[in-house]
Amino acid sequence: MTDTLAAEFLKLRTVRSTLYLLLSLALTLAAGVLVSYLMTADYDAQPPEVQARFGSADPGMVVVTFGQFVLGVLGALAVTSEYGSGMIRTALVSVPRRKSLLLAKTVVVGGVSTLVGAVVTLLAYLAGEAITGDRPKPISAYDSFADAWPALLANTASLTLLGLLGLGLGFLLRSTAGTLVTLCGLLFVFPAITLLLPTPWDERVSAVTLPLLPAQLAGDVPDAPLTPWAAALVMVAYLVVALGGALVALVRRDA
Amino acid sequence: MIEVRELTKRYGSARAVDGLSFEVKPGYVAGFLGPNGAGKSTTMRAILGLDRPTSGEALVNGRHYADITHPMRHVGALLDAGAVHGGRSAYNHLHVLARSNGIGRARVVQTLDQVGLAGVAHRRVATLSLGMRQRLGVAAALLGDPGVLLFDEPVNGLDPEGIRWIRHLMRDLAAEGRTVLVSSHLMSEMALTADRVIVIGRGRLILEASMQDLADRFKKDVLVRTTGRSRLADALREAGGRVHPEADALAVHGLTAYDIGEVAAHHHIPLHELTPRTASLEDAYLELTEDSVEYRTGAVAR
Repeated sequence: MTDTLAAEFLKLRTVRSTLYLLLSLALTLAAGVLVSYLMTADYDAQPPEVQARFGSADPGMVVVTFGQFVLGVLGALAVTSEYGSGMIRTALVSVPRRKSLLLAKTVVVGGVSTLVGAVVTLLAYLAGEAITGDRPKPISAYDSFADAWPALLANTASLTLLGLLGLGLGFLLRSTAGTLVTLCGLLFVFPAITLLLPTPWDERVSAVTLPLLPAQLAGDVPDAPLTPWAAALVMVAYLVVALGGALVALVRRDA
Repeated sequence: MIEVRELTKRYGSARAVDGLSFEVKPGYVAGFLGPNGAGKSTTMRAILGLDRPTSGEALVNGRHYADITHPMRHVGALLDAGAVHGGRSAYNHLHVLARSNGIGRARVVQTLDQVGLAGVAHRRVATLSLGMRQRLGVAAALLGDPGVLLFDEPVNGLDPEGIRWIRHLMRDLAAEGRTVLVSSHLMSEMALTADRVIVIGRGRLILEASMQDLADRFKKDVLVRTTGRSRLADALREAGGRVHPEADALAVHGLTAYDIGEVAAHHHIPLHELTPRTASLEDAYLELTEDSVEYRTGAVAR
């Protein structure tokens, strides 16, 4: 199993797409920082009554939204690039135990997503704090690290979830295009559609969409439809469906 | 040792492989022959656990492939040289495979050298020619120094030098006491490489024989011209020959020219021509697989 894990990690390191995805994550972080900086500059120019109605200048908002997609792509490509090129057959000849292959990919993609997710989330937090300085809430997202860590953990968890969701969808769909379209649907299209549902269903359904789960998991949303525990449960449900489907597809289907 | 037992693989209603059984033992090159679509690749995929058989089984060294830990150390396979992530370098591709089976980096370098790819080891696979990719596939098969080797159409895309190289490689591997199964749809290729042949068509076994038996079996044909065709034909059949009329002559199987001359003399039938003919292995193969060709053009030029 260690050999399979090491090989999967090596696979991830030896393709250029991984580097490009990490670069695009860095770009996302830079964009988040820029947005945060511009908001803060605007904040300083406004009278107090407008200032009170500002959103928080948190680079994490941008980083999590797009980082979810980037890590979803990372997870998807770990599988679909192999189906697309035929490498999956070579991979399954070298590791014929399919459960081992799935487990190794899950550990590697999950681990890398968690590490990368934690790093960008933390960097986004530190940059946000540096930009907003000693300004009060709401422009400053958090009063202190003690105030921030649940949100940072929740964001990291959601980035990990997306990496593994991409992986699972990749095994189910086998096609890069199909998997990326599905990820876009789950991250961007479906959440938009839920807003068109009649009340109270708009709120109930949108609460379980991927972009809104991290904040509910952190308990940051006043009157949230889901408690942190319920949000965690929904995230686990996404994971179980995606990876369970992947397991069934990988073990049952011919390669 | 490869054992295929009553292997059947259906895709929907189409039977790609239909009750196929054969064995390959160590020490010789076994040619796996059949027209396109005969089920060669499906059989190899089943041996390697990529396709789940509908019924029957395929064993390597008495075990199911998927039950072997570090299978590349026991079985080497070249299925499709294109089945590689084009973005990795040749070295990294082999390194990944080696790592998954606990094989060291030194062996990767050694294998690259062995297949003649040392000079392009750090080029991305996508930039390699078809022939180079074929060599990379062979390198992957040899990586674990396995006792059993499967090659699916290994000469595809190779230049004449490469074809000669792979022929020698397969013969050497067999001479070292390894089990070697090589598929091809070209008898001419197998005639130069294989010691035994397994011929299949429409997923069924047509023939399993040594190359020598195959040659012998299709050699004994004598062309006879005579004015007394029907009388001679009867006489030859009586003597145990199989006689097929041809244009204005007879094609006789199962009797030598000497026998035919004796029979004709005994019956006082004049002979105008008596020519022993040897069918090429190519002809033998076409004759064997004639009924099982899946995709045929309107008229087959022979």
